[in-house]
Amino acid sequence: MSEAARLMAIFDEAAHTAEAIDALHEAGVADDQIVVMSGVPYPERALGRHVEWLRLPYIVLAGALGGMMVGFFFAVITPNLYPLNIGGRPTAGFPPVAVIIFVFTMMATIISTFLGVLWEMGFPEFGPKYYDKSATDGSLAVLVEFPAAIEHNVRQLLEEHGAHHIRRPELKPL
Amino acid sequence: MSELGSREAGPDQPPGGPELSAQFQGRLLLEQRSDQEINEAVLRPMFQTGRGFWILVAVLGAIVAWGLYAWGYQIYWGMGAAGINRPVYWGLYIATFVFWVGISHAGTMISAVLRLLKADWRRPITRGAEAMTAFALMMAALYPLIHLGRVWKFYWMIPYPNNRLLWPNFQSPLMWDLVAIFTYLIGSMLYLYLALIPDMAMARDHTSGWRYWLYRTMGLGWRGTEAEWHKLHRALGIFSVVIIPVFLSVHSIVSWDFAVTIQPRWHSTIFAPYFVIGAVYSGLAALATILIVVRKTMHLKEFLRAEHFDPLGKMVMVAGLGWIYFWFSGVIVEWYGNDPVIIEILNDEVFGNLAPLFWLQMTFNVLPVFFLAFKRVRTNPLLLLIVTLAVNVGMYTERVLIVVGNLQRNYLPFNWGTYKPTWVEISIVAMTFAGFILLYTLFSRVVPYVPVWEIKEGRLRYSLRRIGRLLVPTAAEIE
Repeated sequence: MSEAARLMAIFDEAAHTAEAIDALHEAGVADDQIVVMSGVPYPERALGRHVEWLRLPYIVLAGALGGMMVGFFFAVITPNLYPLNIGGRPTAGFPPVAVIIFVFTMMATIISTFLGVLWEMGFPEFGPKYYDKSATDGSLAVLVEFPAAIEHNVRQLLEEHGAHHIRRPELKPL
Repeated sequence: MSELGSREAGPDQPPGGPELSAQFQGRLLLEQRSDQEINEAVLRPMFQTGRGFWILVAVLGAIVAWGLYAWGYQIYWGMGAAGINRPVYWGLYIATFVFWVGISHAGTMISAVLRLLKADWRRPITRGAEAMTAFALMMAALYPLIHLGRVWKFYWMIPYPNNRLLWPNFQSPLMWDLVAIFTYLIGSMLYLYLALIPDMAMARDHTSGWRYWLYRTMGLGWRGTEAEWHKLHRALGIFSVVIIPVFLSVHSIVSWDFAVTIQPRWHSTIFAPYFVIGAVYSGLAALATILIVVRKTMHLKEFLRAEHFDPLGKMVMVAGLGWIYFWFSGVIVEWYGNDPVIIEILNDEVFGNLAPLFWLQMTFNVLPVFFLAFKRVRTNPLLLLIVTLAVNVGMYTERVLIVVGNLQRNYLPFNWGTYKPTWVEISIVAMTFAGFILLYTLFSRVVPYVPVWEIKEGRLRYSLRRIGRLLVPTAAEIE
């Protein structure tokens, strides 16, 4: 396999960025070798990229199920571990059980959503990264990885579509 | 090029030249500002900490310190230092606890509900609302500890078996309370933090020194890649759905602390929705109050405008109408039942020694609804400030009446009594009010108060459309 090279280019417009990404695809650059960084969330597919499949909903469902089981344990199992007869009332009545199971299910859903999305994003990640601060000032920073042999072609494509500050990026702490 | 399409700032900027911009000057999402200018406008007030700021922090800190002394005094001398006694076992502490839980409801209303409804006017105010929720819940969470008296026994409520293998009693409403409030607190803080990550990264890129390290740590390595945005959106969507039933359940559970007893006027099936609507009413009013103050003190007039206060005022009004409806629904049924004790309580409230509190409550909760019907009130910061402050005085009074007023009378007339708070209770209540303002003040100087990325996202969605002779702002469906 030929040696890989990287270029970072800055765009001012989403439309030009999308055109540049299409041109890069045609030039043989794989979609997963292109990273677009911006300070604003562009709509899905606005830049002509595929939408990544997420495991998050499944993580959340698993978390909810776990929370439900924990709630069931606290509300139903623990009173029966040491049953106390209080005036003949049920050891674990339905209304309190419903409240406790509901709350623990919700708690686990919330926590699993948070941990799940961090896990999906690979956060926290404080190591050095390829990045350009202009992304938070309205620009779109495009990082492209490609075989070194086509670097001239890639650079030319980026320039043609309005990119500026095209350079070989350096790994830097954020 | 058509008039609508004419632009100078590029296709990603809101359409409309300078002349159109002037026509829609009051619309934040149509303003011709670059992303860099928006960043600066949000970050600049965070660095402005003049003499007034530090005097405020010192005064609030002193009140908190005095409140902590009062709490220490109560811990040392016992609960006798508070004014609660038979039959009023729940006094200002529980009334204020209910008030703070209620205040916390606006954050979820504004942020989660309006996010799901895709209401664009929510964008600049979501963070302020979410922060209010988190800090109000922190203050609320102090009260069970304060009311416990022997606070060091708190760990008895943590779910693990004691040395007789007994677990905490989850059949008890007090345990429901603990887990519900803990869940809402965790949920609100994570929701606040998750939406904050992109703005932490923005702040990281524009600061140095201790702030840089703080924002770098809290940014978790965010770069704003498409994948990161996609995942964040999905997570916020899930949070928005999940947090709504939690927010409804929390105040319902707090109301069941009261309603599952056989205390007259508490033992009512309408208590849960009555508490929830009251919480939304007071929470939205408190949010409007805070936003007006922050707008003035942090010079955020550019972001917090009439277009935001107008719908917020309408929401306060609708919640107020709901509160009146639920209050009346509860009273008419109980009055018609003609139960002697309930009639005694109602007479005591309307004509007796509780009358000043009752009429204060009714005046400050009912009149604002009529004032808020006028657009001039909803869009004038000073008028809106007065009206929403009145609502919060009214709602706090309502909490005191529910807790203290109703406990003074019960089905055992020999056991009737009165309640007067001591300096310890007043100091501790003042501590939580000062603590809330202090936390909020410090938060506003450390964290971007306006969600920058949400505003930028809103500008992508917003544009002008010609309908006949009119140019009207419209929002595109892009999610």
